[in-house]
Amino acid sequence: MSATLTFWHKEWLAAWRNYHVLILAVVFVIFGIEAPLMAKLMPDLMKLALGDQLSIKLPQPTSSDSWQQFYKNTSQIGIFLLALVFSGAVSQEVSGGTLVNLVTKGLPRYAVIIAKYLVAVVQWVVAIGGSFLITWGYTAYYFPDDKSPHVWLAIWPVLLFGLFFVAVVLLGSTLINSNYAGFLTAALVFAGLALLNYVKAVKRWNPIALVTDNLDLVRGTEKITHILPACGVAVVGALVLLGVTIWAFNRKRL
Amino acid sequence: MHNSDLFFNNLPLFVPLIVLELGLLIAALVSLYRRQTVRHGNRLIWTLAIVLVQPFGAIAYFIFGREVD
Repeated sequence: MSATLTFWHKEWLAAWRNYHVLILAVVFVIFGIEAPLMAKLMPDLMKLALGDQLSIKLPQPTSSDSWQQFYKNTSQIGIFLLALVFSGAVSQEVSGGTLVNLVTKGLPRYAVIIAKYLVAVVQWVVAIGGSFLITWGYTAYYFPDDKSPHVWLAIWPVLLFGLFFVAVVLLGSTLINSNYAGFLTAALVFAGLALLNYVKAVKRWNPIALVTDNLDLVRGTEKITHILPACGVAVVGALVLLGVTIWAFNRKRL
Repeated sequence: MHNSDLFFNNLPLFVPLIVLELGLLIAALVSLYRRQTVRHGNRLIWTLAIVLVQPFGAIAYFIFGREVD
């Protein structure tokens, strides 16, 4: 436990020095502001682009447009940025030989993986949470309508998906000695899950629902109970992947 | 409606965005010029990317270009 804590401190220092904290903070704050901004500007931008050719009257933007933009940003760019930032988490340290000293002096190997996992997950939760609160504030101010009744419900699946996705990145980074292995593994798994979604029988169990069904959850057209099986698979999957990562890391030459 | 109207009507949204992007730009340039080497390409290419492609240039520099300590 204390070993994990020591390595946890070292990881935070590294995350700060490598600008990971800065990148995630800036990008997710930008996402938070951009969602309501795009929703608000869309009618004006359409007018500017099309000019007088536009004869139909554009509908006024609603809170739902703002949340649509938010979930598009987080699920299409945000999670991949997360994967990119943590892609070299293990592989970079192995290729640099920076873990050898610590491990030979008695740092248990599982502590390395658990600390790295927790640091990444905390960064994900804070990044998404902060971004969500910013969008929530602006959206409530600019679009005080009743089109998004379940705003607070729809964000939980995204956070849960992060638990699963970080575990995938860490496993890739442990198995393959390349800085981009974590990212590529995560991208492949994501693509695989997207393909799997075409199979109707497994759709409810597919963790990808956690980042694709959010707008329906916000609008209230889908109940959270519908994706509970997918939530379960994501959490169990994260734990299994973490176990496999520790197992693989125990057998790895540092 | 002009572009400037769009901008001034939405100042509470635009100002924090501009401040953030400027901050990121400065942080990236400071980091770039403090180090002697970069991982891919050269300093000139990264300077152009950071300044011209906001904010992706700066983010790409931190992830791909910055020489790891």
